[in-house]
Amino acid sequence: MNKAWKRFGAACIALGTTTGAALAEDGVDFYKGKTVNYIVATAPGGGYDSYGRLVAEYMQRNLPGSTFVVKNMPGAGHIIGANAIYASKGDGLTIGTFNTGLIYNQIINANGVKFDLSKMSWIGKAASDPRVIVIAAQSPIKSFADLVAQKTPVNFATAGLGSASYVETVMLTNSLKLPVKNLTGYNGTDDQLAMRRGEVVGSIASRSSYSNFVENGYGRFIAQIGGADKDLPQLASLVKDPGALALINLVQSQGDISRLTAGPPGIPADRMGALIGAYRKAMEDKDLQARAEKLERPVEPAYGEDVAKAIAKALNQSDETKHLLAEALKSDKK
Amino acid sequence: MIDVMFGSLGALLSNPQTMGLMLIAVLIGLVVGATPGIGGRLSIALAIPFVFGMDMTQGAVFLLTMHAVNGTSGQISSIMFGVPGDGDDAATTIDGYPMAKKGEAGRALGASITASGVGGIIGAIVFAIMIPVLEPIVLAFSPAEFFLLAILGITFIAFLAGGANIFKGMVVGLFGMMLATVGMDPQTGTARYAGDYLFLWDGISLVTCVLALFAVPEMITLAVKGGSIAAISTDNIKFSYRQIFQGVMEVPRHWGLALRTSIIGALIGMVPGLGGSAAAWLCYGHAVQSSKTPERFGHGAVEGVIAPETASNAKEGGSLLPTLFFGIPGSSGMAVMMGAFLILGIQPGPTMITQHLDLVWTLIWALVVGNLIAVTFLLFITRWVAVLTFINATMLVPFIIVLVVIGAFVNEGQWENLVILVGMSMIGYAMLRANWPRAPFVIGLVLGRIAEESLHKALDLWGFSFFTRPLSLVLIGMIVATITFAIYRSRKPSALNSAQVSA
Repeated sequence: MNKAWKRFGAACIALGTTTGAALAEDGVDFYKGKTVNYIVATAPGGGYDSYGRLVAEYMQRNLPGSTFVVKNMPGAGHIIGANAIYASKGDGLTIGTFNTGLIYNQIINANGVKFDLSKMSWIGKAASDPRVIVIAAQSPIKSFADLVAQKTPVNFATAGLGSASYVETVMLTNSLKLPVKNLTGYNGTDDQLAMRRGEVVGSIASRSSYSNFVENGYGRFIAQIGGADKDLPQLASLVKDPGALALINLVQSQGDISRLTAGPPGIPADRMGALIGAYRKAMEDKDLQARAEKLERPVEPAYGEDVAKAIAKALNQSDETKHLLAEALKSDKK
Repeated sequence: MIDVMFGSLGALLSNPQTMGLMLIAVLIGLVVGATPGIGGRLSIALAIPFVFGMDMTQGAVFLLTMHAVNGTSGQISSIMFGVPGDGDDAATTIDGYPMAKKGEAGRALGASITASGVGGIIGAIVFAIMIPVLEPIVLAFSPAEFFLLAILGITFIAFLAGGANIFKGMVVGLFGMMLATVGMDPQTGTARYAGDYLFLWDGISLVTCVLALFAVPEMITLAVKGGSIAAISTDNIKFSYRQIFQGVMEVPRHWGLALRTSIIGALIGMVPGLGGSAAAWLCYGHAVQSSKTPERFGHGAVEGVIAPETASNAKEGGSLLPTLFFGIPGSSGMAVMMGAFLILGIQPGPTMITQHLDLVWTLIWALVVGNLIAVTFLLFITRWVAVLTFINATMLVPFIIVLVVIGAFVNEGQWENLVILVGMSMIGYAMLRANWPRAPFVIGLVLGRIAEESLHKALDLWGFSFFTRPLSLVLIGMIVATITFAIYRSRKPSALNSAQVSA
């Protein structure tokens, strides 16, 4: 009896002294022999899938004993995948990636959304993907001022209605009152082909998806939203209207938190510590950086709390901006 | 030019490491292709980690061969069990499976495998010839032409159904087009017929529908009837290489058709946006329409096997063109391929011709050699594979049904598709029992979606004046000619009869 109490006491002391330091360690231990599902909200191939597979592979390397399995759950413009991640058990064994543009869907309470981004467990983001205004090479429009000065509306291509590309294009062209007619349904690289054919003059898109196109001499960038490159004027510097500036800011925040990794709400703190730690080590891995560079997928990481704050900030828009967002979308519906 | 052309072939064949990689790639490609529900796109995405660190040429050859031979093995299950692996294989099922039922699985496989190889090689030749004129041709096809091409394909339904069945064919085709409208409206962003089900936003799954309409009804019939797929006993049939060889010889016998469908397939592949299923179905429709005896189709006409198979392999050569020279992928598989090319240090774009002509030729040769290896290998093993059609239904049916269920599920990874599989299977079985044609349904589903989307875009861009674009006028001419021909043909027998009566 006495012996047993002594043992218990010793155990208590041992536990007390090690708990703090071992919290993250416990989390790392938890993953020994466990399988983590990494959900990618698109079909195989393409940006989200390449980033997702890279992240999963290198997180596995940096979380000893764990196995990461990539699961593609495409559909409904990333909503199916995001819903699945949100609805999964908060045990740290399901995480994944989806389009940051779902922030728009949440702000305007779009159909089908069953997630709350402000409650999710944010592990990190891998890239910044600034947006650009791109114009086909054969068009006489050489600068943003040229675009604004157009007398008759020019055609811009966007992806399917309700997609992030569509929301951004409509929101910006309407709030900036650009002489632009938005044509929907140009998915994948349809827009690039349409610009080559000449039926479409321009597009608002992520810089990385058009860098090859511009290098090949098929088009030119005339303005940029966010991003560190100094070769282009920032759109915000060309605009005065405060409402439009607020929307440009919103778009910029999307670009800053690109290629994110998140889990459902309620993952225990020690496991989150282990996941964020592994994510950080993965992003700092020279191998991963070299491979990402070969894929022309730049790595500009941020982690845990920083990403959570940025998401919260993007979600927390003034009623006026929300109104502008909803108006911008409504006025384009035919 | 010529020395680069043959220099590349020599370099390819004389490098044992590259040839070894090609062999492995062919085997992987064939296995992936033979498994229903897994597409070539997934296999490339999964293979990408392995090509890191590979030499530029070897990595590109490896991935391209793997992708190119995918379609070659896809027809095995379509012909033998009526289980199409994908939307384009479904066209092969329509005549391939009836051939297997007649005990001619060997002949059907011989013909389809050879056709695939021939298509792949002609596709590579078209690729080589097209390089100088690529730009004007690809850029000539806008949404207006896509719309009219889709309509042209839909008019082929008139031939598929044939004569007295033309009403049934139209009803089934319209049913397919109706289901094509399920999902997000491309114009208004409204979810149509989707209720609260997000998985319906992207439309009804083509693979699930094809499996439900073709595979399941045939399996139910087989289970009810008993016996084996081949309706004749094994004693009566000399199952040997001779039968397979007969099949092989069917391709040169129909060389005109094989050549035409290969070129059509390659051209459709070249123009991004139409997709592989459209190529196979347009070519199947062309085979029926150009045949003197269209009534044989659907009951085991070997041309119905040759046409879609040449098309689906030829389109690979075609779709590589815009991918390499514009940096704009010609298909979803090629989009993944382009990502892999970047990893290997290949920068797709117009500079490919000036700076990497040797690589371009190596890839063209890889298409040719890869297809040859795949065809030889498959023809060799087909003898043992085709025997499966003589297995008793009690052994075979459960196995096939499992394959069908897995195929319907893994394609999109959504369980809801299994519900659709069951529902559509009932419709498919009813159609089979009532002797309604099922091919028009798939044509309606595949082309209806393309037609709707491109009509919206064309109207947005040009209004109704898009009908007067030069290429549009040519296509309208073809549509009118097809319809006129269909009416003339369905009237002809009765006209003859009445002439005899009056005489």
